[in-house]
Amino acid sequence: MHHLIINKDEWDKALEKLLLSYTIFTPADNEFGQDYELLRPEDVSRIIYNKPKPSTPLKTFFLPLKENVTSEPRHEKQRIIMGIPNCDIEGLGLPEEMYLNGEFDDVFFQRRRENTILIASDCLGIQEHCHCLSYGISPYTAGKADLALILLEDKMVIRVITGKGEDLLKDVNHLMPLTDNSILESIERKHQITGDLLKEKNKGLPDYATTGRLVKESGPAIWKKYSASCVSCGACTLICPTCTCFLLIDKPGFEKIRQTDACQYPGFQRVAGGEDELHELHKRFRNRYMCKYVWKPERFRSIACTGCGRCIEACIGRISKNELFMELV
Amino acid sequence: MVNHGNIYKPLRAKLTDVIEESPLIKTFVLVPESRFSFKTGQFIELTVDGIGEAPFTPSSSPLVTDTLEVTVMKTGYVTEYMHNLKPGAFMGIRGPYGRGYPVEEFHDKEVLILGGGCGLAPIRSLLYSLEDITDKLRKVILCYGSKTPKDCVYKPLFARLNKINKFETYRTVDKPDDEWTESVGVVTGLLNKVDVTIENSIAVVCGPPIMMKFGTIRLLEMGYKDKQIYLSMEKNMSCGLGKCGHCMMGEFFVCKDGPVFTYDEIKDQPNIWS
Repeated sequence: MHHLIINKDEWDKALEKLLLSYTIFTPADNEFGQDYELLRPEDVSRIIYNKPKPSTPLKTFFLPLKENVTSEPRHEKQRIIMGIPNCDIEGLGLPEEMYLNGEFDDVFFQRRRENTILIASDCLGIQEHCHCLSYGISPYTAGKADLALILLEDKMVIRVITGKGEDLLKDVNHLMPLTDNSILESIERKHQITGDLLKEKNKGLPDYATTGRLVKESGPAIWKKYSASCVSCGACTLICPTCTCFLLIDKPGFEKIRQTDACQYPGFQRVAGGEDELHELHKRFRNRYMCKYVWKPERFRSIACTGCGRCIEACIGRISKNELFMELV
Repeated sequence: MVNHGNIYKPLRAKLTDVIEESPLIKTFVLVPESRFSFKTGQFIELTVDGIGEAPFTPSSSPLVTDTLEVTVMKTGYVTEYMHNLKPGAFMGIRGPYGRGYPVEEFHDKEVLILGGGCGLAPIRSLLYSLEDITDKLRKVILCYGSKTPKDCVYKPLFARLNKINKFETYRTVDKPDDEWTESVGVVTGLLNKVDVTIENSIAVVCGPPIMMKFGTIRLLEMGYKDKQIYLSMEKNMSCGLGKCGHCMMGEFFVCKDGPVFTYDEIKDQPNIWS
């Protein structure tokens, strides 16, 4: 990993050039906050850098809500997804392990993953429910994206992480190696500030492993209490960067549509004979946390909750898992 | 694996015969468009075109690769459509998936099999496999229970097995009719009749969840160890690939890690009987 630096206006020009060969998605402000949008040449100077997470999790670029999975995968233009917070970079790990496990590779996921360059963005500042650091995830990318960006006034600092990232920059003019240690120190200070904000905000919140133990050992009372305002809408799973459960829907001609599903929906585990271990709301509600903090860690290397806080923001029942966990402590 | 490259695409199979086993259970004889092999106890996803697909363990011999038999109880949306299919129709097959019965571990053992209702389907496939290695086994005891004599499936199977050296079968029904001469009562009651050397035996249980539960409890009471009991779990295996999440049983994906588990492997998981 090494650092490069470029003037912001030169970086903007480089993006305009990259747009000729790539489809680029970048975070943009909209009426609901901040989300990924398809980049147009005229919007390059308006891209948002280093703000915490966009509304949509990264997984949706690889697993669309609905897709015909018996058709031939389409040939798509190479894409760049830019401005990804590290929670989402880490959150892609679990879908990757599940969909590209070597035994049953999902060709649709695989093509998109191979076709995509991930450019991360260090989070400078936090949102109300951000708690990545509590689960051991930094608010800046250390090694899983191809490139990572941090904008310092009129200079863009680029961390080059992979060969794929390096290749992308080979035609970018005016890139210089970063030799000024004071800039690196300044970046470190900014990282420190974000880290301190996260620590302050989430004082007392148990870490990932402890949460798993607490969830496992808990009785039904707390799940009944917190699920009282749950309406089984599934917003928490839809918005979660690591939830990827789906339903296969049949269409004539032996076609199959893969559609996002949620363990929060009634009947998710019902078998034809009628047995349904998740029939009761509080059991479905707890299932999600057992899955994320107890079962998935038993099976996969990647984390199943990144602390992005989207499920808390999305909940129309105003359920905060963090309040629940604090009560379990 | 079929259809290299796309794990979701089914292999077409022509339905050549439909055998009525009981008022609610039919066996579908399928000829896949290319040879299809599986290990006994593994399952397939069977598609009714445009309607849906559901998981079934084939009831035919794993030694036969040009045809495939699947025994289906009419119990839900997809199976109702299946029961209306006529020979000549095309169905879709994905798989085989999961972990079947570790038949090689049954060598030199007495195999006690407990089956209930349509749970005899995977067991029939297992019995074909065991028949093939009779000389390697000590004994095979099949205990089968159904609701009424009409609900007993594979009627010719029992007569045939009883003629094979080392095989013995017992049947029971909850509600007998005037012609029924065999046992009456729950299937676990048959276990009082069997002569088995438990320390040199393994038990296989397959049937409705309630029967699996009480069957396992009874086997444990008899002295079977957790590791000696093989269960074929029924969950909502939807993708078969360990991805869709519908069949998760604690940390296990029943479709990938099962559907055959020892009781020892899953006894600490939540709600294994529901």
